[in-house]
Amino acid sequence: MQSSFDFQYIIELMPILLKYLGVTMEMALWGFVFALILALGLALVRVFKITFIQHLVSLYISFFRGTPLLVQLFLLYYGFPQFMPIFVGMDAFTAAIIGLSLHFSAYMAESIRAAILGIDKSQMEACLSLGMTRFQAMKRVILPQASRVATPSLMNYFIDMIKSTSLAFTLGVVEIMAKAQMEASSSFKFFESFLAVAIVYWVVVIIFTRIQHLLEYKLNKAY
Amino acid sequence: MIKVTSLSKKFGDLEVLKDINFEVSQGEIIVIIGPSGTGKSTLLRCLNYLETPTSGLIHIGDVNIDASSHTAKEVTALRKQSSFVFQNYSLFANKTALQNVAESLITVWGVPKTEALAKSEAILIKVGLKDKLHIYPSQLSGGQQQRVGIARAMAAKGEVILFDEPTSALDPEWVDEVLAVMKQLAVERQTMIVVTHEMQFAKEVADTVIFMEDGYIVEQGSPQQIFENPQHQRTKAFVKRALKKGY
Ligand SMILES: Nc1ncnc2c1ncn2[C@@H]1O[C@H](COP(=O)(O)OP(=O)(O)O)[C@@H](O)[C@H]1O
Ligand SMILES: [Mg+2]
Repeated sequence: MQSSFDFQYIIELMPILLKYLGVTMEMALWGFVFALILALGLALVRVFKITFIQHLVSLYISFFRGTPLLVQLFLLYYGFPQFMPIFVGMDAFTAAIIGLSLHFSAYMAESIRAAILGIDKSQMEACLSLGMTRFQAMKRVILPQASRVATPSLMNYFIDMIKSTSLAFTLGVVEIMAKAQMEASSSFKFFESFLAVAIVYWVVVIIFTRIQHLLEYKLNKAY
Repeated sequence: MIKVTSLSKKFGDLEVLKDINFEVSQGEIIVIIGPSGTGKSTLLRCLNYLETPTSGLIHIGDVNIDASSHTAKEVTALRKQSSFVFQNYSLFANKTALQNVAESLITVWGVPKTEALAKSEAILIKVGLKDKLHIYPSQLSGGQQQRVGIARAMAAKGEVILFDEPTSALDPEWVDEVLAVMKQLAVERQTMIVVTHEMQFAKEVADTVIFMEDGYIVEQGSPQQIFENPQHQRTKAFVKRALKKGY
């Protein structure tokens, strides 16, 4: 049986979905903040070639880039609690944020590292020649420049992360994707429901892409 | 004030510096000349431990450092004794001229920010950049950038300033203004070690000229000795060529 397209239903569904957009954005924002902190640490370990740890970091990056995000989320949420009791009480929302940050940190670490290595090495030497430590040089000269270089690609990862939060519904987090799924199965209007949620993601991504371009424009003017 | 003893440096199998010995006294201006690929840059970089020597002793100010047993702390202490002017300026691209100069005062010497900025401003005025204080390096000419580079080295409170071909990357039109700043420093008896191809500068300004070739110090002496009465065949050949080329 072919039912007719119900535009009215989409309009009615929008406010219901938007109520859950907060959950989606909260996951994306926290996920991004933690991923950024983690990625910076990972990148610095690789740039400074800190003995021993750098091999662990390479392994970490290889694993989180080499396996699907969905598998990582399942492993973290359904797998780990079985033999590590501290994970038992973890709620799905927290697990999703942890999973997203671990996954994206691996990618972001590589773009931060590339940005750091892209800064002319002689500026580091200039810092050292003045008696600054490597850490001071990083903080005051190299990272401020590298962050400018890395910002566009980090923004891309943020946008990617917003979309990836939709996987959290498989852990039972009620965000916009989960809500759309629930509405679809009670109304049987699958096409309209998923189209509605697609539109929400699309508009959010367009907004953040716009912000990204404004940011890039500002950064290009800075010095 | 500076004493270098049996300094050597290898890159893998390539022996770039071979048993280098020399001394510099307070206020002395040393100019190092020699063909390219001879180890002049490597020597300056070793004095600052930007390259770690393979062996040898370096003494600058009150710091003694032995390549075979150096600690990170000694390296930092040594670096505080000297500052470096790079061929390609190596200014901090994210900082204005003023911030470039003030950086070491603030982070290395712990000078309060307002005081550091005032000091740096005075130094920039001295090198003729009064109206460029708040300009970023990308907006400065090569000559201006190198003058900021020199100002940054002057601010660093070192005993000695090391110059590695400070005018080689410059368009000819900017060379004189940079040399003028260096001559002014020489008049004030700032201790300097200068690697350069500017023979006229060497003749006019140096107290001692060192001629290096193939990782050795072949000959050293007053400009008169080196340019007018060189003792070694290799010095003679180099000086003759260099003066003819009119560098
Ligand atoms: N980091 C390095 N690794 C390997 N070889 C180097 C390095 N730096 C310099 N060299 C080599 O050391 C020699 C001396 O170089 P350099 O000190 O730059 O000479 P100069 O400044 O007199 O032109 C050259 O043969 C150069 O190729
Ligand atoms: Mg050189």
